[in-house]
Amino acid sequence: MSAPTDDAAITAPTDTDPAEQPWRRLSVRVVWVDLAKTVLSLAPGVVAVGFFDVEPTLSTLWPLLLVALFGGLGAVTDIVRWAFTSYRVTETEIQRRTGAFVRRHRTVHLDRIRSVDTHAKLRHRAAGLRVVTVGAGQQNGAGEAALLLDALSKDDAARLRRELLGLAAPAAENADTEPDAEVLATLRPWWVVYNMFSVWAYLMAAGLLWGLFWLVSTFGVDLYGAASRAADWDALGWLGVTVAVLVVGGAVGAIGMGVNFFTAYWKFELARVRTGGSTHLRTRRGLFSTREVNRDEARLRGLSIGEPLLWRWMGMADTNVITTGLSVWDMEQPTAILPRGPVRVARRVAARVLGDPCPLDAPLPRHPRAALRRRLWWATAIGMVPPAAVAVPVASGSASPWVLWAAFGLWPLALSGAVFAYLALGHAIAGEYLVVRSGLMSRTTSALRCDAVSTIAVRQSILQRRLGLSTVSAMTAAGWSAYEAPDVAAGEAVGFAAQAAPGLIDEFAEGLGDDGGHVRID
Amino acid sequence: MTSVEAEAIAIRAPRLRIERRAVAWWMLRALSRWGPVLAALVVSYAVWEPARVWLVAPIVAASAVLAARLLVEPWWRYRVHRWEITERATYASSGWLVQEWRVAPTSRIQTVDAVRGPFEQLLGLSTLRVTTASSYGAVSIRGLDRRTAEEAAKRLAMVAELAEGDAT
Repeated sequence: MSAPTDDAAITAPTDTDPAEQPWRRLSVRVVWVDLAKTVLSLAPGVVAVGFFDVEPTLSTLWPLLLVALFGGLGAVTDIVRWAFTSYRVTETEIQRRTGAFVRRHRTVHLDRIRSVDTHAKLRHRAAGLRVVTVGAGQQNGAGEAALLLDALSKDDAARLRRELLGLAAPAAENADTEPDAEVLATLRPWWVVYNMFSVWAYLMAAGLLWGLFWLVSTFGVDLYGAASRAADWDALGWLGVTVAVLVVGGAVGAIGMGVNFFTAYWKFELARVRTGGSTHLRTRRGLFSTREVNRDEARLRGLSIGEPLLWRWMGMADTNVITTGLSVWDMEQPTAILPRGPVRVARRVAARVLGDPCPLDAPLPRHPRAALRRRLWWATAIGMVPPAAVAVPVASGSASPWVLWAAFGLWPLALSGAVFAYLALGHAIAGEYLVVRSGLMSRTTSALRCDAVSTIAVRQSILQRRLGLSTVSAMTAAGWSAYEAPDVAAGEAVGFAAQAAPGLIDEFAEGLGDDGGHVRID
Repeated sequence: MTSVEAEAIAIRAPRLRIERRAVAWWMLRALSRWGPVLAALVVSYAVWEPARVWLVAPIVAASAVLAARLLVEPWWRYRVHRWEITERATYASSGWLVQEWRVAPTSRIQTVDAVRGPFEQLLGLSTLRVTTASSYGAVSIRGLDRRTAEEAAKRLAMVAELAEGDAT
């Protein structure tokens, strides 16, 4: 695509004086990739105008013009970005300078780096480019990576990753498994079943059909008209039409999700990579766009497995690591170490990551019945809000009575939700880990290392006080920042809190061990 | 009230109480937050005739909330809010309908702030906010005398400096 000479001059060997590390640049191929992308996105329109005699008026051409305009602008900004961005790795830190009008100079200490993430879209791969994201602790939760380099040539990216993670240069470049990598899981094709069905399928179907509609309308085909003529919609009635749309949309969406899953998780592999003193959990995946994430195990604070309510019967589970420095809000889910898949696999992998006996397999005793009563009360209270809101209008005749009955419909749904939420509750201390389980829509079991707990809180509402319950929260810098054990028996709460954060509350506790002996005195 | 919850929870209450002026602060806060809401509802009830029937329930609810926040919450909170700072930890209890105590270890402290909002400045009060690396882990101690809060912040910052590690 472009001559490799672009990079060669800039990335000269850097074994010279460490203080005088030369600044390195992004790959100039970024600009070409951008231009090529613009040309490609113009292609359908050009083909339509050139070969299909579509009349080139302003109304048919405005999408093309917009695409060309934005593409051109993108290429210009990329040239500017390329010209003004440089980075270097010194003994102790990585530095990046960027920005044309506002100069930014960012420095990240090497020992603060929690993760190095390499990914490439198809266009990057065609041009031999990689985007490198470096994650450090303080940006956790802000949704911003510490440092993003978009994009480096493949060799530069590999070299940077080695420098940042302190890896030795591998014998064979891009070998799939190094001798020091212990593979924990690889893709099983049938996991696609777990990834085809979700509410997002409908969004996907809508996107696909909308894109198709616009694409063929450029060629002068009216898809909507064709669909209208294909069936006698009036005969179906609105119920029939709804069902047909749901079924067709769901099918299109499910197939789309399936294809999407395979392209995203092709050649998926989770491995533990040992290098010198540190180990990393590394995932690699992707068919067209590839992604490799390295997570420092020294930053690992635990693991959580979420089981969505609607799919629990088929044992569907999401597996995420609890770690500092990786954003839980990232759309690409860098904390997920497995694709959505069977819970058996999730537990097996969890045991290998956290060690045997796995804290996630610890037995979690059921919470007191009062916790169920609290949930039922809340469900009732929430279920009564809609009827209360429409009570006056219905009573005075401004709204018809069926509105009131419809408003009551939420109640039974809320009550059954309360039961499921109660059954999900659980908490325990397993070895060095604190294990909590809760959640209605997604029952999430989290194991968090006790030494990672920074603040401990015990909360009690009026209703909880009457029912003899407390909620214990363990705050940490990693993952979701707070992990809660809702509705622990009040007498047990302080004991649990004391064990969850060893030594922290001892000086404030009194009468430890007097009531039941579930509290350690040391 | 000697402990957060007498026998059920075997942890003693923090030693120190907050300033009595905090009651006035909570009253002012309730007025400034819920007063405008109620006023807006009442005005629309008076002005907009067709909507009257829909506004009865919201007005009743807003009045109840305002009354509770103005007359009950401040005194209740004054009884509950307590604090204590030792060499090893910061311990505070807070809340009224939902009561909570939390303990943050000194070794994990990242920042210590004394924050003063407009009403707090008026009353010579200050909020001491102790944050840890967790975004939910902050301990806020409200209703301290301005000077007490500043001294506590200074002392905590000094102790926290001695702790090693990156506090995550």
